[in-house]
Amino acid sequence: MTNAAMTIVIGFEGSANKIGVGIIRNGEVLSNPRRTYITPPGQGFMPSDTARHHRAVILSILKEALEQAGLKPADIDCVAYTKGPGMGAPLVTVAIVARTVAQLWGKPLLGVNHCIGHIEMGRLITKANNPTVLYVSGGNTQVIAYSERRYRIFGETIDIAVGNCLDRFARVIKISNDPSPGYNIEQMAKKGSHYVELPYTVKGMDVSFSGILSYLEDAADKLLSSGQCTAEDLCFSLQETVFSMLVEITERAMAHCGSQEVLIVGGVGCNLRLQEMMGVMCKERGAKLFATDERFCIDNGAMIAQAGWEMFRSGQVTALEDSWITQRYRTDEVEVTWRD
Amino acid sequence: SSLDVPFPSSREANIALRSLSPDREPRKGGISKELTVSGSTRWSADEARILRVSVDSFLDHLLLVLETMEMFGSPVSQ
Repeated sequence: MTNAAMTIVIGFEGSANKIGVGIIRNGEVLSNPRRTYITPPGQGFMPSDTARHHRAVILSILKEALEQAGLKPADIDCVAYTKGPGMGAPLVTVAIVARTVAQLWGKPLLGVNHCIGHIEMGRLITKANNPTVLYVSGGNTQVIAYSERRYRIFGETIDIAVGNCLDRFARVIKISNDPSPGYNIEQMAKKGSHYVELPYTVKGMDVSFSGILSYLEDAADKLLSSGQCTAEDLCFSLQETVFSMLVEITERAMAHCGSQEVLIVGGVGCNLRLQEMMGVMCKERGAKLFATDERFCIDNGAMIAQAGWEMFRSGQVTALEDSWITQRYRTDEVEVTWRD
Repeated sequence: SSLDVPFPSSREANIALRSLSPDREPRKGGISKELTVSGSTRWSADEARILRVSVDSFLDHLLLVLETMEMFGSPVSQ
């Protein structure tokens, strides 16, 4: 009989341009190697190229994960992987390897919701009790709170994710994608000082970013060539605008839920200016802010392992026939059987 | 048209089948494929181009399964 506390879970993640394999035992991250598919400045990452990237490295990352954890396949108790949401071709590539090793090693399989992976990793690392969660990345922007066995979406983007807005703006002004466009925007923003007025689009509990992006796609060249502002000023202005919007909808959800904790997860959550602005709002409300560093904010395998562990210990398992991946997978579709 | 893929054992053929069959074809209409446990696959498609993409993709995924099996050992007995 397996002691659930000592269960060792391996998690596979590759829904966007990061491919990672992580191993967790009893809430301890034993290994978490990851690679990022980085495109040249001005270019985004396409599904088939991304899948090709993941395919080329996934088996060596898997080997690395086992070696760094000092484990053999026989030590693994279950295999978790990202069922969705995300890009189709990369998701399939990763799922195929997860299914194959699960069968080879005779272990149960767990299809994990990517968003819930972020949430459970955030809860594990920060020990936040029952926070209002702001999940912000290149693919997702949601404000989430737990209630009665569901992670309920209180507010979200009605078009593109905030990270997508940032990434595509980076392409407009040809900022490097290494290590990530968002990181480079953050560094440039620190050197900006002139605030350029941009559309501010909060819609009740929700936000919209496609209008801001279109505005910048049209206006950036003119603003820069006329000398009205620098690229650094645009980075600064964009961050101030979109982050204010995120702070506003997070605060609105906190007020609804009577919550005194905020947890920021997802790649955009690495941004220190966002954390700073959220911190100011939290302080005003007497609330606590929780965030993780780039090891866990950015997509990684261990977060999938952690969510898989929670699912497994509360009795969930994914049958192979049901292990198909899905590009759309709402956070509130999952029954959170591991919480009261 | 059909494609036959030989495996060292039916155990490994089964593993490959179960790793490759769960996902739906990305394109809704115009293509369907049927995998069977004897290790052969049967496709039917409305257009040759769709067929080629689907076959390419399948073979690539099959290769990935085979490489995974090679690297991470033979199936453990239960």
